[in-house]
Amino acid sequence: MTNLEKYQQAFKETFMVDDDKLANLKYQDIPEWDSVGHMALMASIEEAFNISLEIDDVIDFSSYEYGKSMLSKYNIDI
Amino acid sequence: MNLASLPVELLAGSSLHKIQAQTLPPYSEEAIRFLAEVSSRLLKSPEIREYPDIAGFGYWCRRANLSKLALAFDKKYTRLGRGLAFHIAPANVPVNFAFSFAFGLLAGNANIVRVSSAKHPQATVILRAMQELLELSDHARIRRMTSFVRFPRDDEITKALSGISDARIIWGGDATVNRIRTMKTKARCVDVCFADRYSVSLLGADAICDADAESFSRLIVGFYNDVFLLDQNACSSPHLVLWMGNEENIHSAKARFWDGLSEYLDTKLEEPAIHSVDKFTHLCRTAIWLQPINQNRSQSGRIYRVELEQLPVGIENFRGQHGFFFETTDNDLQMLTAILNARYQTLTYYGLDPQIVTRLVVENGLQGLDRVVPVGMALDISTVWDGYDLIGTLSRLIQKI
Repeated sequence: MTNLEKYQQAFKETFMVDDDKLANLKYQDIPEWDSVGHMALMASIEEAFNISLEIDDVIDFSSYEYGKSMLSKYNIDI
Repeated sequence: MNLASLPVELLAGSSLHKIQAQTLPPYSEEAIRFLAEVSSRLLKSPEIREYPDIAGFGYWCRRANLSKLALAFDKKYTRLGRGLAFHIAPANVPVNFAFSFAFGLLAGNANIVRVSSAKHPQATVILRAMQELLELSDHARIRRMTSFVRFPRDDEITKALSGISDARIIWGGDATVNRIRTMKTKARCVDVCFADRYSVSLLGADAICDADAESFSRLIVGFYNDVFLLDQNACSSPHLVLWMGNEENIHSAKARFWDGLSEYLDTKLEEPAIHSVDKFTHLCRTAIWLQPINQNRSQSGRIYRVELEQLPVGIENFRGQHGFFFETTDNDLQMLTAILNARYQTLTYYGLDPQIVTRLVVENGLQGLDRVVPVGMALDISTVWDGYDLIGTLSRLIQKI
């Protein structure tokens, strides 16, 4: 699986959303991505890439797009 | 007493008489793998929507966090779990039995956990996930080390289990702790006791006046979570609010802060009528005992505030529930210093340097305050809690020179 596929799968499995909804998805856009859903998403991304996100990054992780660029800090190119 | 004949209900893991106290080193791969799988299961379960505290536990025991804790743990000594840990879990915080178990397991112990008779739905969800995993051969070792049981408050059973324990983790406040500590244990048994505690919040008026909309909203949500998620019943939820700043700023900050909290509360479910009655009764009682300079009730009645000029010694005995606060201005923290005793557990802060608090405690040799954390983190339990390093305390050192 490519990094992009792993990244998308984390969103799709956590929030049960379709591919076409991903690109513009932001925190609290959908009922599933609330503070509880955020914990599940963060854990899923950490697991997928075998990383540990800094607490500030967990707080700042506010959209699908923003998350992609943030992961470059962890040497993960998407 | 024969363990097999004890009248307990087995909720997950092995029967009491099948428990093997074959210990592991702290943060063993077996323990981390088990808890990480519990985490994944919980975070995928639909019930976390209704019970965010289950998500909180699941998020805490994810692999990334446990690996981080393992990395930060003492490497100076060779360590091993103490043996068999017996946990008496509290009724006031539904998920604490799971944290308590995780601490015991991460320290390397076999664990018998007495789950509260209150039958919280959170316990059902967490225990179901654990049991499904414990049935897998992959976790056979953990299964032999684990027993979750429920039994009515019964001193005979508690005595029998105390007699075989190498560590006891006793939650539930002063009365429970004192009763259980009279029971005989092995001579080397270590007790970790969570007694009744009291917590405060220290707010910087300037920072609250200056906060932009986003950080202000974070403050309000954080304070709400600290207080209302457990209805102000947790030891670490603040009951007393101390303000720092000049008079004018404190005045504006109070207005902004309490109005903001009240508005946020309006977005939540309405509170049961009995809560309002409790708060009003408590208000009348405190008005007789203490000399408030002002009493405020938010428009919806969710927040009751009693303003005091002086903090009386023993104010911790006047704790309210469901959103009842005392507040005062304490710029040099002299009043806090005068009342701090061993009952004081957590101080949450906003807009201030926490060093002023830790310095105050250390320089004055005070017995109170074990935790100084930002607003929003009052309930964030981890391996250091209530002044204990739990993994350190629940494991033993093997010294070699």
